Amino acid sequence: MTPLERAEARFGWKLVAPTIVILGLLILYPLMYNVYLSFFDVQLNGSKTFVGLENYIKLLSNADYYSAIATTSLYLLGTVVGTTLLGLAMALLLRDPFMGRGLVNAAIMLPYVAPVISVVFGWQFLFDPISGVVNYLLVDLLGLWSERSNLIGDPDSALWVVVLFDIWKHAPIAYLLILSKLVSISRDQYEAAAIDGYGPVGRFFHVTLPELYFVLATVVLLRLIWNLNRFEDVYLLAPNVETLPIFTYYQAFTGVIDQGLAAATSVIQLGVLSIFIWFYIKKIMKW
Amino acid sequence: MAAIKLKNIVKSFGDTAVVKGIDLSIEDGEFVVLVGPSGCGKSTTLRMIAGLEQATSGDIVIGDRVVNDIEPQHRNIAMVFQNYALYPHKSVKENIIFALRRLKVENDDIERRLTEVSEMLQLEELLERKPADLSGGQRQRVAMGRAIIREADLFLFDEPLSNLDSKLRSHMRTEIGKIHNKFGRTSVYVTHDQVEAMTLADKVVVLHDGYIAQAGTPMEVYLNPANVFVAQFIGSPSMNIIEGRLFNDHLQIGNYRLPRKQLSNVALQGVINEQGLPVKVGIRPDFFNDSRLFPETDGTFNFNQLQIDLIEPMGFDKEILFNLAGGAVKARLDLRSDFQRGDYVDLIVELSRVLLFDNETDLRL
Repeated sequence: MTPLERAEARFGWKLVAPTIVILGLLILYPLMYNVYLSFFDVQLNGSKTFVGLENYIKLLSNADYYSAIATTSLYLLGTVVGTTLLGLAMALLLRDPFMGRGLVNAAIMLPYVAPVISVVFGWQFLFDPISGVVNYLLVDLLGLWSERSNLIGDPDSALWVVVLFDIWKHAPIAYLLILSKLVSISRDQYEAAAIDGYGPVGRFFHVTLPELYFVLATVVLLRLIWNLNRFEDVYLLAPNVETLPIFTYYQAFTGVIDQGLAAATSVIQLGVLSIFIWFYIKKIMKW
Repeated sequence: MAAIKLKNIVKSFGDTAVVKGIDLSIEDGEFVVLVGPSGCGKSTTLRMIAGLEQATSGDIVIGDRVVNDIEPQHRNIAMVFQNYALYPHKSVKENIIFALRRLKVENDDIERRLTEVSEMLQLEELLERKPADLSGGQRQRVAMGRAIIREADLFLFDEPLSNLDSKLRSHMRTEIGKIHNKFGRTSVYVTHDQVEAMTLADKVVVLHDGYIAQAGTPMEVYLNPANVFVAQFIGSPSMNIIEGRLFNDHLQIGNYRLPRKQLSNVALQGVINEQGLPVKVGIRPDFFNDSRLFPETDGTFNFNQLQIDLIEPMGFDKEILFNLAGGAVKARLDLRSDFQRGDYVDLIVELSRVLLFDNETDLRL
C-alpha cells in the first residue's frame, strides 16, 4: 500500500466506525448473547445454570417443535409461491402504459404500505363467523359450505388465511421489483424473437423469463428470508398458527417460561437463515 | 424468395403522419436501399414490411400473400437490427440457431449450416461466448449470421452498420455485398448513408418527408436526380445549387453566359420572356475540372477567373471553395492542381452535366 492508499483506508475506517459500533451493539451483541443463553438453564430471577446441549436435546425431542417446522414450511411455500406468481402476473398485465395506470399502481401498493395492525383488524372482521363477509359469501350466497365456520379460530384453516393475508400484503413488493425489471427489457429483443418465428408464448419463455431470472430469484429468496422471521402478521391475525417465531415467543415469554430453550430455537433458525443468505449472496448476487 | 409490393402505404402515429403514401415494387432477388435523412420514414417503412408496425392504410404484399394482418413470426423474414438485438443470455451459437430451433430443423442440418455461416463470418472462435463479451463488430457479425442462416423469403437490414467505426463499416459493407451476390435473396436495406446506398443497391429509393423523392439505379439518382432534394442528398460532397436565369438562347449565372443549346440535360418547352426565367442550377463539385488539365471543346464551358476563398486538402483530392453568382460553390480537384488561397483559377464544366431545377417546385426542368 502506498502512503496515500493507507491514508485513504484510515479515513474509510473512520467513516464506517459509527455503523460498526451501532450494528455491534444492536445486532451482534444480542446475537452472541442469544447463542450464549442457549447453553444455559435461565431462571426468571436472572440466575443461569450451564446445561451444555440439554436445551437442544430437549428441543429436538419435542413434537411441537416439529409441528412448528411443518407449519413454517407450509407457510413459506404458500407465501413465496403465491407472492411471486401474483406479483409476476400483475407486472405482466400492467407493463404497458394505459389510462389510469398510476391509480391502479397506488391501489396495488396500498396493502403493502398500510399499517399491519389496521389491516389485520380488517381481515379479522372479514372472516368473523357471525358478521363477516367471507362466511356470508361462501355459505349464504354461494352455498359452498353448509354451515358458517370460524376460519381464523381453527388453526388448520387459519394457516391458509395467514398465507392468503401474506400474499395479499406482500405481492405488491414482488410486483414492484418484477415490473421495474420488466419495463427495462429492450423492445428489440422481443422484435428479434418475433422475426425469428416465436409467438407470444415463445417470447415469454425465451426473452422475458431469462431476463427476469435474477429478479425472480431475488424475490423468492428475500421472501424466504423475511418470512422465516415473520412474526407480527401471523401473531396479530391468528396467534394459533404456530410458525417458528411464534413457537419461540411462546417458549420464551408465556406459560412455563424457558428462555434457554427459546434461545436454542432461534440459534437453529439463525443457522437456516444464514444458509439462505449465503445462497442469495453467492449464487444470486454472485458476489 | 419473394417479390414485394407496397401499395399506397400510410403510417401515422397519433396525429403525426410519418409515411404519407408509398408505392414501391421490389423484384425477386433485388437489393433495394431505402435512404434518406432521419425522420423521412425509411425505418418505419422497413418495420411495416417486417410486421413490427402496422400500416395505417395501404397493402403490403410479400410473394403472393397480402401480409397486412400477418404477425411478423409468420412472415418468414430475417432481419438485422441497428442495435443487433442479440439475446444477452444465449451464447453466440444459440443466438444464431435460435430461429432454426423454432423451425424444428434437424440437428445435423443445424450443425452444417452453423459451420458454413460461422466460417463465412469468422465466428468460429466466438460460438460459446455471450454477446456481452463481444466487440461491436463481432456483435454485428453475429446479427448477420442469425439472419443469413435462415432460408427466409426476405432480408431486412435496419441501419446495420451505423454503430461501427468507419473502417469496419466499409469492410462489412463489402461483406454484405458479397453475401447478397452469393445468395441472391430479396433484400431491403435502410440507411442514412448515401455511400452504402450507392455501393450496395440494385435500386436506390430516396425518401423525403414520408414520400418517395426518387427511385432508380444508383447512377440514375446520381446523374439524373428528379429534384433538388435528391440532387443534394446523393453524392458527397453535395451538389452545388446556384441561382441562375434561363433565357431563350443562354443560361445566365452571375456574369457567365452558358449557351442554351448544349445544355443537353434540360428539356424545357415554350418561349421565355425578356426578363428570363429564374432557375436553380445544379453542378456537382466533381464535374468541375482544372482548365490546365482538361481540354475545352464545343460541349464545355469555362468559368474563368474564379478566386479561391478556401482550400480543403484531403490527400489525393482537394475541395476548393469560391464565390459564384453570390453563393459559395465547391469544386473537387485532385493533387495535380496546385493552388493557393486567393489564386484565380479557370474551371471547366461539361454542359451536359449542368442540371436545371424549377425555382418554385424544385423539380428538374
